[in-house]
Amino acid sequence: MLNNALYRLEPQAGETIDRAQTFTFTFEGRAVIAHPGDTIASALAAAGVHVISRSFKYHRPRGVMCMAGHCPNCLVQVGDEPNVRACQTPAEPDMVVKPQNVWPSLKKDAMAFTGLFSRFMPVGFYYKTFIRPQAMWPLFERILRRIAGLGKVNPATPPDRYDKQYLHTDVAVVGGGPAGLSAALAAAEQGATVSLFDENPQPGGHWRYALPAPDDGPLPDLAAQAEAHPGITVYPETTVLSCYEDNWLSARRGNRLFKIRAGAVIFATGAYDRPLIFDNDELPGVRFGGAAQRLLRLYGVQPGKRAIVVTANDGGWRIAAGLQAAGVSVVAVVDERPESEAGAVSHVLQADARVFWRHTIRAARGAGAVEGADIAPLDAQVRPQFIAGDLIVINIGLTPANGLLYQAQTKISYNEDRAEFLPETLPAGVFAAGRVAGSHAGATELAEGRLAGRQAAAFLGLAPAPPSAEITALAGQKAAGPKRSSARVDVPGSQKRFVCFCEDVTDKDLETAIAEGFDSIELLKRYSTISMGPCQGKMCAANTIHLCARHTGQSVAQTGTTTARPPLAPVSLGVLAGQNMEPVKRTALDAWHRANGAGMMVAGLWMRPEHYGNPPAEVQAVRERVGLIDVSTLGKLQLTGPGAPDFLDRIYVNKWQKLGVGRVRYGVMCNDEGVVMNDGVTARLSETTWYTTTTSSGAGAIFEWMQWWLQSGWGGEVHVTNISEVNAAFNLAGPRARAVLQKLTDADLLNEAFPYMHVRHLTLAGVACMVMRIGFTGELSYEIHCPTGAAHYVWERLLDAGRDFGIAPFGVEAQRILRLEKAHIIVGQDTDALSDPISADMAWAVKLDKADFLGQRPLRQVAQDGPAQRLVGFTMARPGLVPDEGLQIVRPTAAGPEIIGWVTSSRHSPTLNQTIGLCWLPAPLAGQPGATFTIRMNGKLEEARVHHGPFYDPQGDRLRI
Amino acid sequence: MILLNCPNCGPRNVQEFRFGGEHNPRPAAPLAVDNAEWTDYLFLKANKLGVQKEWWYHRAGCRLWFLAERHTQSNQVLKTYCWTARPNREGETCVE
Ligand code: FES
Ligand SMILES: [Zn+2]
Repeated sequence: MLNNALYRLEPQAGETIDRAQTFTFTFEGRAVIAHPGDTIASALAAAGVHVISRSFKYHRPRGVMCMAGHCPNCLVQVGDEPNVRACQTPAEPDMVVKPQNVWPSLKKDAMAFTGLFSRFMPVGFYYKTFIRPQAMWPLFERILRRIAGLGKVNPATPPDRYDKQYLHTDVAVVGGGPAGLSAALAAAEQGATVSLFDENPQPGGHWRYALPAPDDGPLPDLAAQAEAHPGITVYPETTVLSCYEDNWLSARRGNRLFKIRAGAVIFATGAYDRPLIFDNDELPGVRFGGAAQRLLRLYGVQPGKRAIVVTANDGGWRIAAGLQAAGVSVVAVVDERPESEAGAVSHVLQADARVFWRHTIRAARGAGAVEGADIAPLDAQVRPQFIAGDLIVINIGLTPANGLLYQAQTKISYNEDRAEFLPETLPAGVFAAGRVAGSHAGATELAEGRLAGRQAAAFLGLAPAPPSAEITALAGQKAAGPKRSSARVDVPGSQKRFVCFCEDVTDKDLETAIAEGFDSIELLKRYSTISMGPCQGKMCAANTIHLCARHTGQSVAQTGTTTARPPLAPVSLGVLAGQNMEPVKRTALDAWHRANGAGMMVAGLWMRPEHYGNPPAEVQAVRERVGLIDVSTLGKLQLTGPGAPDFLDRIYVNKWQKLGVGRVRYGVMCNDEGVVMNDGVTARLSETTWYTTTTSSGAGAIFEWMQWWLQSGWGGEVHVTNISEVNAAFNLAGPRARAVLQKLTDADLLNEAFPYMHVRHLTLAGVACMVMRIGFTGELSYEIHCPTGAAHYVWERLLDAGRDFGIAPFGVEAQRILRLEKAHIIVGQDTDALSDPISADMAWAVKLDKADFLGQRPLRQVAQDGPAQRLVGFTMARPGLVPDEGLQIVRPTAAGPEIIGWVTSSRHSPTLNQTIGLCWLPAPLAGQPGATFTIRMNGKLEEARVHHGPFYDPQGDRLRI
Repeated sequence: MILLNCPNCGPRNVQEFRFGGEHNPRPAAPLAVDNAEWTDYLFLKANKLGVQKEWWYHRAGCRLWFLAERHTQSNQVLKTYCWTARPNREGETCVE
């Protein structure tokens, strides 16, 4: 058991842990004591575990550096989940935590040899080393995968639950520090609804852990005020990942993804601690000022026992004082400024603390963890002196957390004076406040937050705009405020000095890459992989720009920045995917189908019965007795108004003016390229009411297509309503269909009263239905449209009525066979994006002599030139052979086989006991019934014969009985 | 994701809409135009860098086809309006 009392302090004001309770989890198999409120990293730090992981490339030991989720140094494996940030993840009882990139163990890592041989792993290593020979790639790949993996994914991990939530807010405030909180309050006071997002468990930002400057005065409890304000909703532990156009944000909390639409956005995202590049700059025990303060104040943990504080601002001195007050011995404060530039550094340090002005650190020393530091004057070439200690606090500057501001298209420029990248021009509706905007004094942060809140409210028209004098005054206040960042990013040295901790890129690597010509910042990034790891540039981007500028002789401003792309923080794919939802449409009879043995299939958005166990038997039932199929998935459109026939004339190739009331016609719809888009039947129910069906898959698109023509000029006196889901539809087909239907109605169904291709309103079993006598199956058949609510009832009455006649339900597969026996086409299967109706054997439907219609011009051309390819039927010479749909039709030539066509439909016909199909062939060949051609099946050429017209009942007598 | 201002419904997520392509009026008399003009209508898109007039359909809303003027580089939508004269939600009449 690791003893957590080693580094744990007495209770601290504002700490997040609950000391009344303790529990344990394991790290590398050893038990670690923790309190509720601890993160994995704080509990490990309390137990004195400073090395918790190893680096990606060289497997160097790494430990908690930022304690803020910004660096890659604390990534661990928790149970099945890799790449978990130990400093951000609450410790939980019995958690199994393992270090990453270690083999066989954290202490003895076999791969650490790469550190010794690192001259063999220069920058661009992957590009350079593993290119040749090609044949070695499989081996290289295996080695690389072993070396390069970031954690391990267990493919057997049970899927977790993820979801999404949409938020709408007047003002979104990103960041719950002093600036963000005061912005939220100011905006809410003007009447705006405000959503405040903060990645920490509680808002408060750096005020939660930073020791206040003496002139800050007592800090107001803004977090409590915000929580209490009815207009503000606080989202803790929520990381905003991206900002898109029109203030559309995405954020993550646990397994939830938020999609946020905000009227205005205020970015108060704060700043990250900025690393200094020196020898062994990532040795465990090197921690940022923020990390030291977080450990102290939030978790009551000493970040070390003997501290060397390296700083360039007064904040470092406050940290030193805070450490000392917590019982940490401050052995040295190393400030790169001359004493004259320092503010009132009035905090009393212990007597034996050494103070170095105009000095900096040169190297961290120690085997596996910090044992001391080399300290040297800034400019003189003096031998550095070694100072012993186990903690090096780096507090030399901040990198404004401006990734989201960049994504929001803010113009950001390098401010030489402040040595920070600061926003210059903000887009409309976007505001920035606090440390991200360069405000560092407490009072300035608050004032800037309030101003941004009021500006956001003004942008939304809720309040008058703040006077410009106030804005100018604040800018002056900021400029006069304390300077936080040093322009120095590195110090001279000779050993490993990491610019990028994620991918182990050193300053020398960058220098080499620039010398090799990768001297633009974007190229440098791609070649060196810098800023592409888990920190997403938070640690390395600013320093890289400085180094690139120096080595190319340009200014920082000229060097520019790399594009900030979403997501800003790593996000698991599960969060982006959300719930696994695949919506399907079900007909009113879905449950009946399933209960009656239907094999269901996906048809577009719909679920349909493919069969009820035996398609050939279902075909036989229709041909010999009577069958019933659910065709509710058909698109159903109602056209009303005197302009309906004119409109139909324009969008169908057929003529409609003379279709009498009570009649039905098959129609084909083309686009202006003359390509078949859809087909279906249209019935004229009254002078001014028409009813059109479309294919199941085309229903939505055809309705939108019609709407477009209606709304862009062809909409005279006609209205189209999509009633696809209002009505259910069944097809009752077979020689006994009339007898079955007659049992449900008194109406005269005889041929004279209700002939083929007519429509009637009938009351069936008491339900008002519309019935069309049409014949896709080739038998006497009635397509019954009834209200969806009555569908189940009517369906069962039909089955009851049909029992004595041997009725059987049939599915999509039987229907496909039935229609193929009649050589009826299916749009989208037998036709494609190049098929015109004349070539597709439907020339009879195309009325070229009518007024302008969609497709008229190209179809006239086809009619004049004659089709090049034609859709025709075929049979196979060899019995029992059914070619797959899509197979090629080839002609052997001296130069080898030539593709001349393809099969679109084929089945064994149970009625005719032979193979039948449809195919595209060159027109001359297609024009000769009985002509033979060959289909390439399994490498062999199989003979087939051209067939014209329906295979079954060519005269259509059975439709008219 | 941009917001699109449906003339009927007001600003909505662009996800609710279907893009209908650039505004490309059909020749009034297709049989009267020459092949070049017909080809241009059918196949040749302007693919403009700048403000483009284009069709949008409020699929998950009021089912209105309307026109938008959008800058294809900045994605900024300058205005949206009905193809034909009709009052929008503010009661103004918007015409192409
Ligand atoms: S220490 Fe956890 S991310 Fe830096
Ligand atoms: Zn709308």
